[in-house]
Amino acid sequence: MNYTKQIQDIAAKLFAEGKIDVFVGYRMNGFDDNQVPVLITDPQDVSKLVFTDKSVFNLVNYLKSDHTRRKRVGLVVKGCDSRSLNLMLTESQVKRQNLYIIGIACEGVVDDAGQKMQNCTECVVPDAVVFDELLGGTLSGSLTLTGSKPYQVNADVTALAAMPLTERAAYFEEVFENCIRCNACRHSCPLCYCAKCCIDQETATLYNGANTTSSAFHALMTWSLHLAGRCVDCRNCEKACPSHLPLHLLHKQNESVIYENFQEHLAGVIPEDRGAFYKYSLKDPDDFIM
Amino acid sequence: MNFSTFVTDKAGLHKFYEDIMASHETFAPVEKFGKFDFKKVTSLSECDPESPIAKTLSIKPLFFPRSAKVMKYVATSSGTDVSETDEDHLAGNRVILGVKHCDARSLQVLDKVYNWDYIDTDYQKRRENTVIVSTRCDKAETHCFCTSLDYDVENLDALDVVVVNGTEGKIYIKARTEKGETFISGMNIDNRLSKNEWRKADDKTAGEIKTQYESFAGSFRLKMDYKEVNEKLSKIFDTPEFENVSGNCISCNTCAFVCPTCHCFKISDEKVKDTGVRYKSYDSCNNGYFTLMAGGHNPRPVKYRRWRQRAMHKFVYYKERFGVNLCVGCGKCTISCPVNISIFEVVNQVSAASMQE
Repeated sequence: MNYTKQIQDIAAKLFAEGKIDVFVGYRMNGFDDNQVPVLITDPQDVSKLVFTDKSVFNLVNYLKSDHTRRKRVGLVVKGCDSRSLNLMLTESQVKRQNLYIIGIACEGVVDDAGQKMQNCTECVVPDAVVFDELLGGTLSGSLTLTGSKPYQVNADVTALAAMPLTERAAYFEEVFENCIRCNACRHSCPLCYCAKCCIDQETATLYNGANTTSSAFHALMTWSLHLAGRCVDCRNCEKACPSHLPLHLLHKQNESVIYENFQEHLAGVIPEDRGAFYKYSLKDPDDFIM
Repeated sequence: MNFSTFVTDKAGLHKFYEDIMASHETFAPVEKFGKFDFKKVTSLSECDPESPIAKTLSIKPLFFPRSAKVMKYVATSSGTDVSETDEDHLAGNRVILGVKHCDARSLQVLDKVYNWDYIDTDYQKRRENTVIVSTRCDKAETHCFCTSLDYDVENLDALDVVVVNGTEGKIYIKARTEKGETFISGMNIDNRLSKNEWRKADDKTAGEIKTQYESFAGSFRLKMDYKEVNEKLSKIFDTPEFENVSGNCISCNTCAFVCPTCHCFKISDEKVKDTGVRYKSYDSCNNGYFTLMAGGHNPRPVKYRRWRQRAMHKFVYYKERFGVNLCVGCGKCTISCPVNISIFEVVNQVSAASMQE
């Protein structure tokens, strides 16, 4: 998977035609094969752009940034990234007419060790679902809700569900104990765009900013519940976590519950889809209501 | 003052570590989820004092806890009663094993600010009670640049006891402070020497330690002249380059939380009805709420100004006030950064931009 040339050409054309103010893509970090996100405003820098299977970070995060606000932005999105972009559009965080989106028919990205990332091996929507131009793959135009591959419950979630309750509790206690409350997971998430997050409220003493196991528990659980039915499994949070916590467990658990109970709903796949918790359907289960 | 040096091998070193664990409260890197954090240990099997630098968090939390209870309070009809917390979070006598050279240096840097206008007695007490056994690395990691900064890695300008891996399986143990000397002599030296586990340093030892340093110093990818960076940065407060280099920062705070020298903190209360506990925990200058005042004014309302604060505090302000850089070149921030921003690259890019102007 290498779309470096195409992306450079498209970005150069967009700048030449005056269609964008800033282009968000990836560049090489200059010494090994890892990449750094880059915000380009000078058309001369277009030659720095690259796109390979090391282009891991979800760039939709930068639509929250001061550098892109109220500007016309060119942006590269993979399948999962495009789903989060879809949600940003549906939730009125960005205007579609301000964006020029280069979608990628993604073949999966790799981690630092060169292994294909777990979310990529399980990915059911690898092609970008919202784009002005799609690179790779064929223009399908008729996406089904579940994409091209059948949905599978995450392997780690399945393994965890098989554990006895006490063991599972001990495992998660360890996770929360190792959290250092830096909130990098929240900041790296493209969908955590609240101007003032509830876990930063001075009055919310549950979260209180102090690094205790209980505050980590409350902060992470609240965070994961706010992303239930919205998380697109891009794993920005896990990449950002300095303690390498398995944060995907929280999200994938929610995702599988929602998939099962809300008519096979997957976040952000269909444009204008308001998400599992925003719509009402007669088919929604009500057997848990007493 | 002359401090003693001993020569041993891996088995002798591990025996030394085991003996420390048996007789002292010991902290060492323990692996969890692929990252090493310093935790209390009782045997060598639980921990890895030779943990890789790229995967090890700093020892800062053992001196400046991620969350320290400052006090507790009860509001009564006649006023508020303030008391010490009943939990004594100050350390007793303890030893930290497997500390990296840069990490040990960070404490020397932090000592300056903690002994400045307000004397932080909690920090002082923890420092006094702790013996640090630090290791000089054999090879630099991708983002390391400790040899480019203002401390003497060659002469092992680090804390208490220093361990250096030599060639042919030799390991050198060297005291670097009086505290370290006292600590080593309290560890049954004569017994170790008579059993031939340890040997006294001979006239070749100094040369062998120097050879190790040379091969270590040769493995660095990153090299800079910190004096040049200090000088150039101090003159370019208003350069637009800060806006360029901070463009892809996502303000996630990770760098400050993992940094061994960052020491900004915030105060928060955990209260239930009329009683509460006050905590002191880490803050980060990348945070949008950093220096936000009660009236709503923030002197650093945008990202590049917060990034400028970060770079300038590390390489200009601290240097001007205390004579040392607030960066030890450990590369922890760069390793943890989700978008791979390197502080080395940032300060050098900004300094280079000042040359063009």
